[in-house]
Amino acid sequence: MRAFTVFCKTLREMSREAWMLGLTVAFAPFFVVLYWLILSGGSTTYTILTIDNDRGTRLADGTTLQAGKEAVAALGRITYADGQPLLKTRPVADLAEAEPILRDRGAAAFIVIPEDFSQTLASLRSGDRSVTTKIVFGGDVSNPYYMVGVNLSLTAIDSYIMQATGQQPLIGYIEKPLGASAARTEFETYVPGTLIFAVILLIFLAAMTVAREIETGTLRRLQLTPMSSFDYIGGVTAALVLVGTAAFALAFVCAVMLGFRSQGPLWAAILVGAITCLSVIGLGMVVASFTRTVSQAFIVANFPMALMMFFSGVIYPLPKITLFTLGGHEIGLYDFLPPTHAVAALNKILTLGAGLGQVTYELSALAILSLIYFCAGVWLFQRFHLR
Amino acid sequence: MNVVLKAQSLTKHYGSLTAVRDLSLEVLEGEVLGILGPNGAGKTTSINMMCGLLRPDSGCVSIRGKPITDGTSDTRSRVGVCPQNIVLWSQLTCLEQMVFMGEMYGMRRDAARSRGEGLLRDLDLMEKRNHRACTLSGGMQRRLNLAMALIHDPEILVLDEPEAGLDPQSRVLLREYVRTLARQKTIILTTHNMDEAERMADRVAILDQGRLLIVDTPEALKRTAGEGDVLEIEVEGITLPEAREAVAAVAPQTSITDHTLVIRARSAVEFLPAILEALHAIHARAGEVRLRANTLEDVFISLTGRRLRE
Repeated sequence: MRAFTVFCKTLREMSREAWMLGLTVAFAPFFVVLYWLILSGGSTTYTILTIDNDRGTRLADGTTLQAGKEAVAALGRITYADGQPLLKTRPVADLAEAEPILRDRGAAAFIVIPEDFSQTLASLRSGDRSVTTKIVFGGDVSNPYYMVGVNLSLTAIDSYIMQATGQQPLIGYIEKPLGASAARTEFETYVPGTLIFAVILLIFLAAMTVAREIETGTLRRLQLTPMSSFDYIGGVTAALVLVGTAAFALAFVCAVMLGFRSQGPLWAAILVGAITCLSVIGLGMVVASFTRTVSQAFIVANFPMALMMFFSGVIYPLPKITLFTLGGHEIGLYDFLPPTHAVAALNKILTLGAGLGQVTYELSALAILSLIYFCAGVWLFQRFHLR
Repeated sequence: MNVVLKAQSLTKHYGSLTAVRDLSLEVLEGEVLGILGPNGAGKTTSINMMCGLLRPDSGCVSIRGKPITDGTSDTRSRVGVCPQNIVLWSQLTCLEQMVFMGEMYGMRRDAARSRGEGLLRDLDLMEKRNHRACTLSGGMQRRLNLAMALIHDPEILVLDEPEAGLDPQSRVLLREYVRTLARQKTIILTTHNMDEAERMADRVAILDQGRLLIVDTPEALKRTAGEGDVLEIEVEGITLPEAREAVAAVAPQTSITDHTLVIRARSAVEFLPAILEALHAIHARAGEVRLRANTLEDVFISLTGRRLRE
């Protein structure tokens, strides 16, 4: 009963400090929108600068072959599964014009179509295999978009050459995508991580809510009552889980509105989010245990927040650093962070359409780690502030 | 009278500092016990141990014979503490705080609400019952701080520096209210203000550097510092030891404090002509002359050789 009283009091206080609650709940949906905007509403389209020096050639049947123009058009024809273009071409006169654009990262790469491109293709088509020509490409190699842009461009040009010369590839490749992953936009692949990010942000609210009770002395006032540690921690945790789950759900709804297509049940995703909340609240308690003021808690909470954000695959996937193997599963360094398993579980549920039975390992690891983090936080908090 | 609260040999260290040393004290049912001492004397540490907020390094506290640290909610609920600092939930309204604390003490919601409203009325806060604590003035917050300590109708009320930071109007209201409570509850109040202790307490315990120096009624304590009045004379022209020597024949109980000669005696004013004559004889002049009754400050000085504020 007292835990429920603390729960109601905590929610009431939070609701009256709208800026804090609002920021916590609205930050993750804001990130979802941000990703959507960055990824042009779905997936990245790579801009390629084209310098078409091809002079064209007259074929034996009297028609003119403009292979340079056709190759550039072929670049614009390759698309994602949803029809969104992968490449966008932008013609420039020469390298001097291309260079400042590349320097400003206005494009991923440039491609120079040689003068004799049409002539060479015409010769190949007529069976003359002795001819050759060179397509020059380049750009700012340190640009993260460079490698993907160039590879896609060269693949597209290769395909065009095969088709234009009637040649067959030496080896054929067949793509077998997992689940519904082929039809996913780049934006959709980021959504599971963003949802967990919504929960990770709860660490600030958790640490600051408890630190405020320490700073103002209200926790000591409560200690004079017959309240048990469970009453206090249970009440506060329930309120925070509610807020964390609301932030998670709001981010999810926002993602759906922006085109995210969930392949798995929402309740399973929310379950993952709620369990993750426990670990984040536990870390918040650890932070509050070592701090005495709200501002200290805010500053210190940045460290575990960054740790969870950058080392759990929420923002981008990390290379596996395997430490040992347990029950057939490779346990890596980052596997000790609960969000690592939360992101893995959400990816399987939301992207590959997995049911709970197919994410048993991730869910078990997440639940065990969350429990450990939460218990550690509670133990430390009791030791430093509730005795 | 029955002993309500008993502290036995309480000692508390903070690192190398001994905040409270071997404190033993009995608080009687229905009395107002003032704990008087300068800042840093160990008053707050003592009451924190007495109400179970702080675990002593050694010694024990019992309320009606039951140790306060026995973990039973009943023992702890007998005490209500009004801390020195304002301790409120700034975003809750006055009534919400009262109901919340009442529920935390195990009261039914409607009972907590009714008692909360009664206390807010008594402390002139009823008009502000639906205002958040952060919008109240400092004096109002202090009164709400006191009301919170009383929500569960405790048998013992602990007031830590209750008049600190109060405006004159709130101070009068608080004194009046504590006076009405004094008939129904046992009150322990800490203060470094001797007037406050003398005016409000039935008995006064004097603490200094973590030690309990003495406990008794204010009247009895004042008697320990000397009978009668205090005559203070500022002397010009000679040093204070020379002046004391000069007046020793006519006022043998003369002492020196700060820049004055202090003479304690029954009807001390009768000594004044002879003292002035003795000073005149050695070409010294008396500056300001003050006659006042003995205070607890004098008791503290006689026990420690220092003023309360030093």
